[in-house]
Amino acid sequence: MNISGLYSALSGMNAHKRILDVTAHNVANVNTPGYHRQRVTLEPAGVTSVSAIFAGRSQGAGGVNVASVDRVLDELAESRLLRETAMKAHTSLTSTTLDRIEQAFPEPSDIGIAAQLDDFWAGWSDLSTRPDDLSSRTQLLERSQTVIDALRRASVALDGLEESSRESVGRLATDINDIAGRIAELNRTIVGSATSANDLLDQRDLLVTKLAELSGAISRPADGGQIDVYIGGRIIVSGGITQSVREIAGVLQWSSDSAAVTAPASKASALAETINDTVPRYRIALDAVANELVTSVNTLHLTGYDLTGATGRNFFDPAGVTAATISLSADVAGQPEHIAAGAPAPGIPGRFDGERARAMAALAGAATGPDARYRSMVSTLGVEVRTAVRRDEIQGQLVQAAANRADSVGGVSIDEEMANMMAAQRGFEAAARVLTAIDEMMGVLIQRTGLVGR
Amino acid sequence: MNRVTNSMTSRTTLRDLNMSLGRLQERQADLSTGRVIRKVSDDPTAAVDAMGIRNEIRRADQRSRSLNDAQGWLQTADTALVSSLDILTRVKELTVRASNTGVANPASQFAIATEISGLRSELLTIANTRYLNRPIFNGTANGAAYDSASGVYAGNSAVVQREVAPGTVMPVNMNGQQVFGTQVGPPGDLFAVLDRLQTAILTSNSTAMAVEHGNLDTATQLVASAAAEIGTRAARIDNLRTRADADQMGMRERLSRLEDADIAEALLNVKSSENAYNAALQAAARILPASLLDYLR
Repeated sequence: MNISGLYSALSGMNAHKRILDVTAHNVANVNTPGYHRQRVTLEPAGVTSVSAIFAGRSQGAGGVNVASVDRVLDELAESRLLRETAMKAHTSLTSTTLDRIEQAFPEPSDIGIAAQLDDFWAGWSDLSTRPDDLSSRTQLLERSQTVIDALRRASVALDGLEESSRESVGRLATDINDIAGRIAELNRTIVGSATSANDLLDQRDLLVTKLAELSGAISRPADGGQIDVYIGGRIIVSGGITQSVREIAGVLQWSSDSAAVTAPASKASALAETINDTVPRYRIALDAVANELVTSVNTLHLTGYDLTGATGRNFFDPAGVTAATISLSADVAGQPEHIAAGAPAPGIPGRFDGERARAMAALAGAATGPDARYRSMVSTLGVEVRTAVRRDEIQGQLVQAAANRADSVGGVSIDEEMANMMAAQRGFEAAARVLTAIDEMMGVLIQRTGLVGR
Repeated sequence: MNRVTNSMTSRTTLRDLNMSLGRLQERQADLSTGRVIRKVSDDPTAAVDAMGIRNEIRRADQRSRSLNDAQGWLQTADTALVSSLDILTRVKELTVRASNTGVANPASQFAIATEISGLRSELLTIANTRYLNRPIFNGTANGAAYDSASGVYAGNSAVVQREVAPGTVMPVNMNGQQVFGTQVGPPGDLFAVLDRLQTAILTSNSTAMAVEHGNLDTATQLVASAAAEIGTRAARIDNLRTRADADQMGMRERLSRLEDADIAEALLNVKSSENAYNAALQAAARILPASLLDYLR
């Protein structure tokens, strides 16, 4: 009879109590973002792993030890989730950006630039039948102003998008620095912590995910449970030390040497794409529409004759050939009689000649005219938006699949926790029962010993 | 077998519900706006086609206004020329009477000459006919076509054209010289002839009368052929108008087919999306709350 049985039973009770504690922790964190379930690893007590003659044999007391409490996670699934999440940040920002551009061009409708252009050409057509009529001239001027306003509004919308993207880059830099700082701090805490730092690890992983969304960062394990974090191959967090980034003129760059940050697919890369590619591309396309409008109308207008018999006037200001600068020329603005509706006949055409206006109205159907250019731009935009939205949807599904994959290993399952809880409960009860049994046996020994034959 | 955790179930369910609700919303928007293409990205190809058709419709609208205008011009010209021909018939009658019987009767000669003079100014008034306050026989020039007293032509020979079909223009005017003859003469235009005829009758100059009678016939023929020309053009415009209307209807139909929602189909879509959403909700309501906890005491 060995009294150590008492302690074995006690260790069993303690171990199962610990399992219950961890179960409670798991259940409590069932909805905590970034939380990975924890498992208690038990090992028989008194087993030494040192190879010796008695290795593997129970050295005395027996019982159970809590070897460790570990996070359960699949590294591969986690790193895939990290990348997909970063990519999703890119696709979703790209599709939002393109959606905003699309809103600046409400087509097909009666209020878009296409409709304003149609009205403009219709104005010329009306003028061609009533060249002497001041009211159709005034109406044409008004419609021209509407087209100009519509083009300018679209241009301003693009400017606004670029401006807000630049501001976003500024906020992004602040956020990146902030998160990098917190990761470094956690690194220092983790390396210095004596006990299991599971929850700190979860917190750090969560921060890395956030950083990945912002900048496409990835992490690599370093000494003492620390991690190093890289953005585009350049280190931003090394143990407890961070590098900082900053925004200069809408460009994200490293503070130390002003080199641009080459961020992989992420919010940062999507912003850079918006600023450097998407917005400039549509601005060029829109400017081409404005330029074509100004040039084609002016070419005809310059050789046309107005109501006063004069020629050589511009309709649009030839200096403003972009969507932002297009305007009526000083010759015709507010002077409807200066609109050239007459074509150069052998001499000066009559006051009632509307041939030039008719030729102008025919520009509406020109194969490379402003209308056709605008339609082709809108078509490109439509296809691009559609593609971006699709890509974002697909990426969403990929993220979900990756999250499910990671969750299937690391997530908390209530059912499983309940089963574990029951097992631990039973284990605890059994250990307690053993304790009672040993206690009874000892009691018998103590109370009955020496009473034989009384 | 993979573990299935609570977060997986709720994530998947939430996403599916969202997608289902999103589809329902799209279908409802189809129905409430009555349009299947609300922005270009809904269907870029169809949207750009729709924009092209809108542009064509707008131009067809303009063309139909242009056709209206052309019709107005031609009808006005037709009326003017038909009344001119009536007047000229009367002039011819008078001329014949003057050359046959009137020589011996100065009083009747004078009456005839006076009537011819009146008819001449009537013709001049007709030659100055306006459509929408614009003289129709003076090309593109400003002001009246003919001086109402001297009959001097003040117009030019410019052609007024209207677009009547895609890429096709048609002249809708005839200038005064085409209708009433050129003023360089002799014999000059109709008004010069009438002037001289009147003088010949007044002076009972039968030789001159005969000459002017011949000139009058030539001038009348010119007016008649102008009237015929105008009539032909008007008929062509009528034809084009019918075709343009049909084209326009066709285009509107094509646009509607591209852009507009088929209400019956949209309703059906909404209903089936709604059913799908309800089913998803019910399934979620059953799956989500179930757990081992329900069975533990």
